[in-house]
Amino acid sequence: MVSTAEQTTATDVAPKKGRSLWADARRRFLRNKAAMLGLAILVFVALFAVFGGLLAQWSNEELDYNVMGQAAQLGGPSLENGHYFGTDDLGRDLFARTVQGTQISLAVGVIGALIACVVGTVYGATAGYLGGRIDSVMMRLVDIFMAVPYMFVLILLLVMYGRSITILFIGVGLISWMEMARIVRGQTLSLKGRDFVEAAQATGVSTPVIIARHIVPNLLGVIAVYATLLVPLMILTESFISFLGLGVQEPMTSLGALISEGAGTIAYGTTWQLGFPLLFFVLTLFGFFFVGDGLRDALDPKDR
Amino acid sequence: MALLEITDLSVTFDTDDGPVHAVSNLSLSVEKGETLGIVGESGSGKSQTAFALLGLLARNGRASGSVRFDGQEILGATTKEMNRLRADRMAIVFQDPMTSLNPYMRISDQMAEVLTLHRGMGKREAVSEAVRMLDAVRIPSARDRIRLYPHEFSGGMRQRVMIAMALLCQPDLLVADEPTTALDVTVQAQIMDLLDDLQKEFGMATILITHDLGVVAGFCERVVVLYGGRVMEEGPTDPLFARPTHPYTRGLLAAVPRVDDADAKMRAIPGAPPDMADPPPGCPFRPRCDFAGDDCLRMPPLEPFDRNRARACRRPVAEVAP
Amino acid sequence: MLTYTLKRLAVAIPTLLLLIVVSFLLMHAAPGGPFTAERELPPQVLANLNAKYGLDDPLWKQILTYVWNVVTGFDFGPSFIYKDRTVNEIIAQGFPVTLTYGLLSFAVAVVVGVSLGIAAAVRHNSALDYAAVGVSIGAQVLPNFVMAPILVLVFTLWLGWLPGGGWQGPEYWILPVVALSTSFMASIARITRSSMLEVLTQNHIRTARAKGLPEHRVILRHALKPALLPVISYLGPAFVGMITGSVVVDIYFSTGGIGKAFVDSALNRDYAVMMGVTILMGALTIFFNLVVDLAYAWIDPKIRY
Repeated sequence: MVSTAEQTTATDVAPKKGRSLWADARRRFLRNKAAMLGLAILVFVALFAVFGGLLAQWSNEELDYNVMGQAAQLGGPSLENGHYFGTDDLGRDLFARTVQGTQISLAVGVIGALIACVVGTVYGATAGYLGGRIDSVMMRLVDIFMAVPYMFVLILLLVMYGRSITILFIGVGLISWMEMARIVRGQTLSLKGRDFVEAAQATGVSTPVIIARHIVPNLLGVIAVYATLLVPLMILTESFISFLGLGVQEPMTSLGALISEGAGTIAYGTTWQLGFPLLFFVLTLFGFFFVGDGLRDALDPKDR
Repeated sequence: MALLEITDLSVTFDTDDGPVHAVSNLSLSVEKGETLGIVGESGSGKSQTAFALLGLLARNGRASGSVRFDGQEILGATTKEMNRLRADRMAIVFQDPMTSLNPYMRISDQMAEVLTLHRGMGKREAVSEAVRMLDAVRIPSARDRIRLYPHEFSGGMRQRVMIAMALLCQPDLLVADEPTTALDVTVQAQIMDLLDDLQKEFGMATILITHDLGVVAGFCERVVVLYGGRVMEEGPTDPLFARPTHPYTRGLLAAVPRVDDADAKMRAIPGAPPDMADPPPGCPFRPRCDFAGDDCLRMPPLEPFDRNRARACRRPVAEVAP
Repeated sequence: MLTYTLKRLAVAIPTLLLLIVVSFLLMHAAPGGPFTAERELPPQVLANLNAKYGLDDPLWKQILTYVWNVVTGFDFGPSFIYKDRTVNEIIAQGFPVTLTYGLLSFAVAVVVGVSLGIAAAVRHNSALDYAAVGVSIGAQVLPNFVMAPILVLVFTLWLGWLPGGGWQGPEYWILPVVALSTSFMASIARITRSSMLEVLTQNHIRTARAKGLPEHRVILRHALKPALLPVISYLGPAFVGMITGSVVVDIYFSTGGIGKAFVDSALNRDYAVMMGVTILMGALTIFFNLVVDLAYAWIDPKIRY
């Protein structure tokens, strides 16, 4: 924490009136226009994923034989035939498919981030709390893990054990916990020296209990920030794999798979097949990045 | 003509919580070769005064008023104009020697660049001049150690390097901003002795900014007492310390622990310094002052009294020894 | 500096061995052998194949043989699918292409990103700063697989300026390089900007200014090195990201790099090729991280223990 004399002086002469940390953070978050925009976007995307199916005139698997084979001419977005977003080359309704793709992408993002958070927090808090040689061995291991191009290993896994969505969820989560572990470890190290932890140690509370009761609750702010920022990264990873055709399997789809299909057909003039999935993909990522950055700024103002 | 003439200097910072007035309507002057102490608690605006002089305020800071150096107005001068004065004619030693040197450059490079810039010296010549200056600040085996990086020096040694660096061009004015605050007590005394010797040797005017009254008494000919960004009292050191008349100055002196008098009580001034984002009206010391009255709700002007002394107070305390 | 280098090497080598062993074990543990693909093979044929590929040896011997071949001869053995080709031949065919656009993309991302970040920080809150921040936020959501189709749509299909695929000369390099480098360029610009802004508030920068140094000297001589440290730490992940992204480039632009070989082998369950590519990429990454660590130590004198 290298604060400058200028900043220190400026805050010294302006002592904050007793606002609580959380109230202060909430105020900063609500004042952050980008974060509020991100939140609005996320609400919209979530509503689309949950209730979009009710608006769809077609199911995601139904083939519209009127359009099939002539997607470039007849498959464009239209209110008349109920294909709001147009159809894909097989005549399937792109609106319904985009709703499903958004659901899958959000699910992979959230579940993957949760897995990464749990593993990263437990690992990082343990290493940071135990300290010493165990800590340095554990963190050296993280260094080693981080030097591996995970996408290749994940694809290797997916190919060998079948491309099931469960493996995708778990795999995406398991390749991203290392950064989380590092952050949590750093925070734990600084928490460890605090009075309340030392008090707990002095009264003979066992180590796992101290970690669960005293360390982890105080890490929640940091964890929330990085979890929010992990979600879009998970979505990116899943979309990448699906773009290569190695992710979710038909008839299930994800935004990445839809982008891949759309990208493959742009030469025939079916730009909507790329455009609509891309729009929701970009919106979702923006939403999470904005909210995550807003949370970080709100909880950690010195990082601006 | 005074070397440095500050008139009505105000420094304001724009923050999320509105403007913060760090310094308000400050006026003071420094003669050639004079030693002036600026005393105040943290947040009294003393460091910001120093930064404003050299144009080193943070991005969100603004200064207004007038600062004349050797007859030339320098407040509002362009960076280019200021760069001709900085280090060459007015130099500064900062508070924290641990962070004020560049950790990624050798001491030799950091010192030599001052001389190549202002004196047009070549690298070799500049380094050997820098070694001479390190000898002058009594750094042992300077010739070898100049090749080192800052983290290879102790805090006291780094502050010596900072002082040597400030004196390289033999400036007319040296500003020392709490030069000993970050150091161990024993090292503090060494550094102050060094500054005292160097001041006598080079004869530059020196502004010593500090909260430590003991340091001021030993070093400065004249003292300015700041509180809440305003001058409370000023005058020659000895009479000011012997017979303080401003209630704040009295409070400050009374709060100094005295080794020579075990019975004397050490009295802290009750209350806290003002919030400069929302300063009290009138005299900033009024809320903590035992003598304040309603007339203190208007800021009293700085009025001369006695010989070469001045104070801003409507209720000066009887001039008795503390 | 020498001890530091040796220490980093002491981490890098076991990492690489670990990667090789783990990939081998993963392959070995995969449900069904490599030859249980689509059709049932007669037991005699299966046994012959297993013998040919050494799959009937005990596990430890297989691992040792594999590791030995990889380490001593960089020999990944024969492909499981293309009976007449070795993994080495398949990799050697695509590697120069991948290396060419990979290095170009990396250079573009670093040079443009760092310059943009510095310019934005120096002109803080100017139009340039806002533009740089806008670009870097926008590019965050435009990874290579999104950039690639958009670029082809605009520059190939609409404007007709650049070829949308193939690998026949420098004009074929542009779209792959832009697609691959944009998001990393943006991240590097963002990291440079915020770290430069932070460095510019540090005390030693105020010291530099108090020396009367002109602003560009303050930035280049005093602020640049510390501001680059976070950028250098990011180069490792960026390198991994680019290697990964090269797969998309190879598929979408038909550039013929090893990414294509990797995806084909993934779809064909050609484990030998997949492992070869994975290990090669891992080795490159580990080597690159070593270089990054040394660069970091070269800049920061406190690390040279």
